[in-house]
Amino acid sequence: MTRARAWLLGYVAAVLAASFVHAPLLLAGGLLGALLAAGPARWRLLKRALLAVLLFNAGVSLAYAVVAWWQARPLLDALLLINLRVLLLVFLGFWLVDRVRLLDALAGWPLLTTIATLALGQIGVYRRLLEDFRLAFRSRNALPPTPLAMLRHAGAQGGALLDKSLHDAEQAAQAMRSRGAFDG
Amino acid sequence: MHIPDGFLSPQTYLPAWGVAALAWGWAARGLDRRLDETLVPRLAMLTALAYALGLIMLPLPGGTSGHALGVAALALLFGVRLAFLAYSGVLLLQALLFGAGGITALAINALALGLVGAAVAVGLHRLLARCGETAAVAIAAFVSLQVSALLVALVLGLQPTLARAPDGSPLFFPLGPEITVPAVLLPHLLIGIGEAALTVFVWRYARRKGWLGR
Repeated sequence: MTRARAWLLGYVAAVLAASFVHAPLLLAGGLLGALLAAGPARWRLLKRALLAVLLFNAGVSLAYAVVAWWQARPLLDALLLINLRVLLLVFLGFWLVDRVRLLDALAGWPLLTTIATLALGQIGVYRRLLEDFRLAFRSRNALPPTPLAMLRHAGAQGGALLDKSLHDAEQAAQAMRSRGAFDG
Repeated sequence: MHIPDGFLSPQTYLPAWGVAALAWGWAARGLDRRLDETLVPRLAMLTALAYALGLIMLPLPGGTSGHALGVAALALLFGVRLAFLAYSGVLLLQALLFGAGGITALAINALALGLVGAAVAVGLHRLLARCGETAAVAIAAFVSLQVSALLVALVLGLQPTLARAPDGSPLFFPLGPEITVPAVLLPHLLIGIGEAALTVFVWRYARRKGWLGR
């Protein structure tokens, strides 16, 4: 078994275990254990996980707090349990991706690997092109642009994005074809 | 409208993984014969677009998020099976790279958004073929998003009933369907207009490029 596959299986086992634990203290212990084991990357990963869950969990917690107050239901334990579990699961996910290359972990599923490889390549293309467009648009507008100008810009950008993305994906597919990726 | 990790009980996500595994097997059957250097770049382009759309999220108070999906565009151009597989890949990438969605919620998200969303889009598009191309594409995209949103809201809203502590407090997602359904569906009526416009935009792009074969 490869290192990436072992990490993936360990991650799945930890996620399963966390969803069967309903004691906030145990989940807090699990989170603490994961933080200790994550080494120097722990605070960066924790910050990332906190930012990823903050908006959703704040919304859910607030809504539940109102409902629980209205219906005189227990509040603190439930909120602690739900938020700790979500934070632990997201932290574990980010830790996995930090420690192994995603494509190595998916290596056992050729179709998924192909789609992920191409999609990841396209995401890079989109990111670069959007930044180029944003800078070009800003340089052409000394004053804040009107909504109509922004709409025209978005339309032009959308078309160019698809063209550029298709062109790059075609090149990648030709490269794959020349290496026998589509040979039956 | 991903369900985030940690909000679904094992009673929900374990059977969902079983159903999704069967559906992925069905969708992947014979696919290697379909994938070639013409189809793959188009699929990659729209898969990446769906990925990018999924990251522009509007958090909703019902415990999920609102965003356009791009599933209808994938489904109308490539069919239900390929759209389901491609969108499942998108969900996996979003979960692992950005913590949007998650591994426990992946199967439900993939079934509700990728499979049901794609099937509704393709079915409605066929049903409405006589209404004119643009209308059929737009309505199919709009309705498929609403159906997916409704499913997600119902699954979330069932959690307090499915998994609760002896004192009645929720163990996973804490709000019932009376909150999740309006909280998720109402914003998606607006987001659906964006999804419809985007799908028509992609459909016309595909027509200009001669992908539609008519």
